[in-house]
Amino acid sequence: MPGEATSTCWSCGTMRAVHFCSACGKVQPPVPADYFTFFALPRKLSLDTALLEREFYVLSRKLHPDVYAQSQPQEQEWSMEQSSLLNDAYRTLKDPIKRTEYLLRLEGVELEEQSKTATEKARATGEVKKQVVPPDLLEEVFELNMQLEELRMQKKMGEDDPALVEELRKHKSNLEEKYEALLAELKGHWNQWDKLVDSGSEDDRIKVRNQMLDLLNRRNYIRNLVRDVNEALEN
Amino acid sequence: MSYSDKVLDHYSNPRNVGSMDKSSQDVGTGLVGAPECGDVMKLQIKVNPQTSVIEDAKFKTFGCGSAIASSSLATEWVKGKTVEEALQIKNTEIVKELSLPPVKIHCSVLAEDAIRAAIHDWKKKNGVEAKAPATAEAHQ
Repeated sequence: MPGEATSTCWSCGTMRAVHFCSACGKVQPPVPADYFTFFALPRKLSLDTALLEREFYVLSRKLHPDVYAQSQPQEQEWSMEQSSLLNDAYRTLKDPIKRTEYLLRLEGVELEEQSKTATEKARATGEVKKQVVPPDLLEEVFELNMQLEELRMQKKMGEDDPALVEELRKHKSNLEEKYEALLAELKGHWNQWDKLVDSGSEDDRIKVRNQMLDLLNRRNYIRNLVRDVNEALEN
Repeated sequence: MSYSDKVLDHYSNPRNVGSMDKSSQDVGTGLVGAPECGDVMKLQIKVNPQTSVIEDAKFKTFGCGSAIASSSLATEWVKGKTVEEALQIKNTEIVKELSLPPVKIHCSVLAEDAIRAAIHDWKKKNGVEAKAPATAEAHQ
């Protein structure tokens, strides 16, 4: 279990918890741990962020380097390292998307490496590689990019095409709706994942993990697209 | 990050930009994308039905310089090859030719995927035997 004593306190020798000795309360050197473990949380995605925030403030006060101004240099250094870990862990876990991306990395997702391996397999076997982005979204991305190119060209020539601008605006609001819908869909998958953490087969977990990855990929694509549309409309 | 001379050359002077009639029987279309960077790449080939030689290739890529250069190079390389020969083009060869840095390797993978997708589309259209899709392989 995370948060349990994993080694002995450097100062009093008691078995200690993650950040402080359970007996003498001294700050401990940071141990290599993932962010969930740092907060003594299971690797689940539905998370009480209010609770996380409270825990963050408690730890933040206790680990603050100012508290250790009069302590040994070693303790000062550890409190600094622990504080910085704490900040990274909090920032990552409080954000729903960052939290999911982080979990997927912990669960062995390496997007580029996997894509490359799949391409090599396709070459070796003659099988067709499954694209991570669904074809209909790719079509949409491509078409929209064509329109954006046209718009940039027109602007460069000093021309004005209100119909095209209007079409792009409509398209953009559709995309923004999709973007929001994908977050809701992702949250549905969180529940599935969290159930599987306690009782589920490896295969089931990989299945849900990959579904979440698909959703995140689509969401990233749409985010970039909305950004590009905004840029083209404003410039 | 600085681009190699070859990337810059393809970027500022891309070969074979354009499109072909998607519905034409002898045209194969591959549309692929990389979610990490949001790139999208379309590559089309025109195949001689008698000889299976790729007689023409066109591309249109929205993305970074490396993605544009990779697909530009891909169209150059597939032209004059038979579809089976074109299927042997490796992303590592594109990396080498363009001196792509490690962070841009995915652009070359995308270009290889685009070639394969275009050939697959052509084969499907023309009833040329192709193996069943390996679903979910991209994530394994």
